[in-house]
Amino acid sequence: MRIVNRLLAALLALAVIVVGALLIIEVVAARLGRKPALVHWHSAYAWAESTQWQQGSVRVAAVALVVLGLLLLIAELKRPRVSRLAVADDTDLPDDVAFTRRGVAAALRAAVSDVDDIRAAKVRVRRRSVSVRAQAGAQDSDAARALREPATAAARDRLRDLQLAAPPRLSVRVLRRSN
Amino acid sequence: MHADRINRSVLTLFAVLLIAAGAAAGAASLGLFGTATKHRILLHHALGDFYSRHGDWLWPVTALVTLLIMLAAVRWLLTLLFTTDRAGDLRIADGGPGRTTLAPGALTEAVVEEIESYRGVDSARARLIGDPTNPQLVVTATLEDSADLPALRRRIQTGALTYARAALDRPDLATQLDLTVTTKRSSRVS
Repeated sequence: MRIVNRLLAALLALAVIVVGALLIIEVVAARLGRKPALVHWHSAYAWAESTQWQQGSVRVAAVALVVLGLLLLIAELKRPRVSRLAVADDTDLPDDVAFTRRGVAAALRAAVSDVDDIRAAKVRVRRRSVSVRAQAGAQDSDAARALREPATAAARDRLRDLQLAAPPRLSVRVLRRSN
Repeated sequence: MHADRINRSVLTLFAVLLIAAGAAAGAASLGLFGTATKHRILLHHALGDFYSRHGDWLWPVTALVTLLIMLAAVRWLLTLLFTTDRAGDLRIADGGPGRTTLAPGALTEAVVEEIESYRGVDSARARLIGDPTNPQLVVTATLEDSADLPALRRRIQTGALTYARAALDRPDLATQLDLTVTTKRSSRVS
């Protein structure tokens, strides 16, 4: 989101600069009694003078503004996805130590993938929960179900190794091989 | 980046302005400001009428205010494009009459070299951010999955990060250590 925000902020700043420069140029041109210098705003003025508030185009524009504003507001107020999970630091040092979200995912993925008969695993790390979806080597549902316990144990042990300050809730699913 | 908070605030304010403008136009269009309003033309409202009456001095004032806003936008854009949160040279208190400074790169390179020498560390990155009088050391270390992660984390803290504090003579140096894990095995021999 930070990158998107920087891009949006740069675009907004650029738009303010361009619109502001045009406005100043046109005001100066009008004060000097000249014709519109860069923007033929007379036609826009004429449109605004002949358009009533109740017209469809005004309503469409109003709805577009509200929708755009709401989308931007939701995006800005939304809590960012957790990027680091703090470690319960047992040293007396004033360090802010954390595992990155990707680091936690990689550690758990490796631990679960190491379990016999697990082919692959996908890990999703959220602020308070971690979900692991592992794929069994077997096509048999019972065999896949039997792998849930060792996969969960492997993930739980690895999570314990990370010594996170607030260990997330763990859920593990093992799916049978589809084909 | 230090401009990130300002970006978020300005974009939030811009979103609120868009909603307010859209809601006001929608309300006028639906007649919520009176049925007479929705039959009026767009320029016929209090602000439009005010500009019609006092345009002689109001437009130049508007241009002047716009110029100030534009200058703020230029400064904002330059900050976005050209500034960094990296710290400048650090002044070292040596007790002598001279001035001793330490380039941040010298410290961060030493920290990275130290961390990468630990068995079980795949790679490391470090940077010094903030004001040179009160910097923060930000370190990212990629650890091998097979390593003893708690022991390695403690070693980085009590080793490399503690040495950095000693080198700067700042026992209270703020540090951020981000650890990540890789399944790839390092080819380094330590």
